[in-house]
Parts: sequence; structure tokens; C-alpha cells
Amino acid sequence: MEKKARANPELRRSVTPWGSFSWGYSDVGADIFVGLGLVLAAAAGASNVAFLFAGVVYVCIGLAYTELAATYPVAGGGQYFVMRGLGDIFGFIAGWAVLLDFTIDVTLFAWTSVDYSSQLLPSLTNSVHPWVHFVAVFALVAGLCLLNVIGVRESTAFNGVVSALDVLSESLILCLGFLFAFKPALLIHAMQFNWPSPYQLMLGTSLAIISFVGLESISQAAQETQRPASVIPRTSVSLILTILIFALAYSNLALGLQPWHPITDASGHHLAFWQIFTNNSDNQGKAVALLAAQVPYYGALAALYVPVLGAILLLISSNSGVFGSSRIAYAMSSSNLLPALFQGVHRRFRTPAVSIIFFSSIAVIELIFAAIPGLFPAAASFYSRFFRGENGLDFLADLYAFGAATSYSFVFLGLIGLRLTDPLSPRKFKIPLNVGMRFRGERVEFPIVAVIGFIGIFSILLFTLRTHVLGRIFGPSWLLLGLLFYLAYRRYRRLPVLQSVQRDWRNDQTEILRRSGELELMDEYLANLKASDQRRASEGSGV
Amino acid sequence: MLLIRTALSIAIVVCGAILLTEMFASIRMAGIRVLPGAVLGAAMVALGAHRLALIARVRGGRR
Repeated sequence: MEKKARANPELRRSVTPWGSFSWGYSDVGADIFVGLGLVLAAAAGASNVAFLFAGVVYVCIGLAYTELAATYPVAGGGQYFVMRGLGDIFGFIAGWAVLLDFTIDVTLFAWTSVDYSSQLLPSLTNSVHPWVHFVAVFALVAGLCLLNVIGVRESTAFNGVVSALDVLSESLILCLGFLFAFKPALLIHAMQFNWPSPYQLMLGTSLAIISFVGLESISQAAQETQRPASVIPRTSVSLILTILIFALAYSNLALGLQPWHPITDASGHHLAFWQIFTNNSDNQGKAVALLAAQVPYYGALAALYVPVLGAILLLISSNSGVFGSSRIAYAMSSSNLLPALFQGVHRRFRTPAVSIIFFSSIAVIELIFAAIPGLFPAAASFYSRFFRGENGLDFLADLYAFGAATSYSFVFLGLIGLRLTDPLSPRKFKIPLNVGMRFRGERVEFPIVAVIGFIGIFSILLFTLRTHVLGRIFGPSWLLLGLLFYLAYRRYRRLPVLQSVQRDWRNDQTEILRRSGELELMDEYLANLKASDQRRASEGSGV
Repeated sequence: MLLIRTALSIAIVVCGAILLTEMFASIRMAGIRVLPGAVLGAAMVALGAHRLALIARVRGGRR
């Protein structure tokens, strides 16, 4: 028994409710630091509407992840849920899309971490010193890769402190901003006279979803939380609402903000605050710091510390990309969706070094692709001709939105699939609005919110494909390459190529509940199985 | 600590309720444009109420 435990070491379940909240917050909470500027630049006077649409979809996704993570608290997250609900090939596609997101996450957040730092260190400004910016981002990505290989990762306690500071700081910025700098007339004016074209609104909405990416962290926290079925729903609902409130509040405040220091353009005309983001990627990369600096009085202090806090939070999020991609690849490899190579553990450091180095290398390739036009002006004309000039932040945001919309779409389908095929697993938390029905002889509850969420996220996926030139090319190419690789690998291993490998989900689920300390739920599950088997046996014998 | 958390949760509910009222009051002037603000207010009320429910459960558990 002891030998078996050593061969399959389990994660220690020591994350507290606050630890679980801060884990998610340090991942999803950082997104508004990136998304705000991009959305304001794209959707102008309808930025708050773009955030509203994406926010409603995000609430549905958050509730779906909460139910799934509380019911199946295992490594793998979205990929595991989809594989279990829809089969191996769809599990691979969802997991591969999540991996795209994690690699982009590494680069995008390291990039914006440097952008926030440039508020205090102007020599890091991308448009002025592109090489310095590039080297700084590259050094961060390489550094995080190295730290993860030798096994150092941010502690839950550190996450907790940074999250608490950030929640406090953002609440202060919003409270003081709404009290002293918010003019409702400016908001109404921006919405009335700067309403974007449908194309720009679609672009803004597809970018707004990147402010809500990172819900995989809910399932990552679930596997390290004691009694996750009870703890995860409590912390997740708080997390979902907090992030939604910040996103909606920031977008409304930014549109109705009366700047503390007047902002003028080159010809001396006064600009509204949100207009400083139009066609200015330097500003887009540090939107929250610029907004905080415009809050009367408090802005003088905020201008000094918000860039630092933002840079740290973004760096933690970037690290979660390095860590998360290796863990997802490890889980996919354990399920025979990726080669065993990705389970390769470093002899000395006992970390999944192969996965870490492989996906960090992809992050570096993405960084190079995003940075090329800034580094070599001769390449800019090529990008203008073929990619409508998209580069830098735009390129990274494009792929981030594509990966998120794809994986979330599959998670909704996975949730519906699991409700139909696994009705016997006890669900301590269920997303609201369910319709009772019978499916294959069992009573199931069909989730209406999952259908609404799927329609919402699928429309965002269509918006992304319609409005993002690079996302349209590189996103599907990533999926197609992965799929070809998957098919070749399954054929080589003589595993079912389009079908799923046979698994004993009943035993798996019992073991999952036992390991997570949910013994009451395990007993309930076993009782459900017994009752179902007896009913089927009696129906089969015609009694 | 519980007292501070309760006070903060009540403050969130009150702020959300004020925001909701303001939004509904200006619906004639601004029309559908109040929607993002109204959802923000509703989310604040929901978060505050959720926190209060958790606090009530903790207090119930202590007794």
C-alpha cells in the first residue's frame, strides 16, 4: 500500500477557503489589467455593454466550472470534464485549446507586466524601446520556466497577500473614482455619441472575454482543497461576482471619468479618458494604472503603487500559465491523449520538466511572432498586408480569446453530457434552472443555463473568428495541427482513434471522492449505484 | 473579524441597492443604457447577500 502511494504521489489537500479564492483571483483578477484597455480601444462608448455581454456569459461559465469542479475535483479541469462527458477526442480538443490559452497566458501576462512596469520605468516602453521591452518579456518567460523546472512556485500564502492587497486597492480606486471623478453625463455622452459599429462591438465583446479567462484555476484549486464539494461553491460564487463587479465598474468608470489632469491630443483638443487607448498599444497595456492615476488626490499615490501591484499580479498570472500548461499536459498524457513524454519528470527536481520546457518554448515563439514588427520595421509591411497590421498585444489577445471561447464552448457541452450520462454522481452544487427528464432509464436534470451559456460563448467564438485576423488563421491551425498529431499518436499506440479508451468511471469516481475527503458523498454515490443496478436488474427480469 | 466582514457585506448590499435605484430612476432619460449599471448594482447586492449568508452559516455553526 505504501509502495503504491509512493508510486502515485497525491497532491496534499491543504488549500483553505481564502486560499482557494485567492488562487482563482490571482489568475482571473489579473485579466482586467489586460482587458480594460483593449476593450476601450475597440468598443469605445459601448465598452460597458461589451463587458456586460461577456460578463453574463462568464457567470454561466463560472457556475458550470463550479459544479464540475465540486463534483469531479481532479487534475485536468476542462479537459477532464469534456473527456468524461463527450469522449477522448473532444477531451483532447478542449485540452489542446486550454494549452493554447496557457501558453498565450505566459506571454501575454509577462508582456503586460512589463507594460505596467514601464509606467515607472519609461525605458521599458514598447513603442520607444522595443528591444528592451522584448528582452525584458523574454527574461521573465525564461525565468518563470527555470523556476518551475527547479520546483519553485508561488505559495498560496503569497497569492493570498497579493490578492488581498489587490482587492483592497481596486475597491479603493473604484470607490474614490465613483465618488470624486465619475460624471454620469460623460458616460451617457460616450454611449450616445461614440457608439461603435457592429464590427467594432463584436471585436470589443470578443476581447472582453479575456477579462474572464482563468476559470481552470477553480478546478486546480479543487484538487488541492479538503472537502472541495463544500468549499469550492462558496469561494467560487464570491470569486465570480467579485470579478464581474470589477469588470463592470471599471468599464463604466472609464467611460464616465472626468480626468484629474486634463488630457489633450497633439492639436490641443481635450480628450475623454477612454480615448487615450485608441490606437495606442502602450496605453492599452497599462489601463488600470492610467485610470488609477486620474482619480483626484488618491491618484498621486496610486500612480506609484498600482503599476507595481499590477506587474506582480500579472507575473503571478503568467506563472500560472507555465505551471498550468505543464499540469494539463501531464493530465492529458495520463489519459492517453498526449504521449507519455509529457509525464517526464526531472530526476533531481521531481517536476514535469519536459512539459514546462516544451510549452514555455511555444510561449517564446508566440512572443517572437508578436514582437517582430516592432523589432524589425521591415516586417511591419508584411503584417500590414497579410494580418491587417495586427501584432504585439493584438496578436496575443486574438489567440487568447480564441482559445478561451473554444475550450469554454466544449466545457458547456461536457456539462450537458455529464448531466445525461452520469446522473448518479452526487452534485452538492448545481447551476440553477434545470428541467427534469428521463434519459436511458435514469432521471436526469437538463441544465438550461448551460445551453444559454453555450449560445453566448459560441457567439463570442464566432465574433472572434469574424473580427480577429490572426485568431482566425492561427487558432484553427493550432487545433488542426494538434488533432493531426493526436490521430497519429493514437494510431501509433494502437488505441481507438475516433472512439474512447474503455475506463471504469464508477471506480474512478469513488476513488476521487475518497481522496478528496468527501466520504458522505462517496457513500451517497455508492448507494445511488446500488439502487440503479437493482432497478435495472428488476426491470431486466420483468419484475 | 466577523463583525467587520458583516459590516462590509451590508455596505456592498446597500451600495448595490442605491445603484439599482439610481439606474431605475434614470431609465426614462437614458433608456437601455442603464443596463450595465443595473447589472452592476444587482451583482453587488448578490455578492453582499452571498457573503451575509456565509457569515450566518458560520454563526449558526458556532452556536
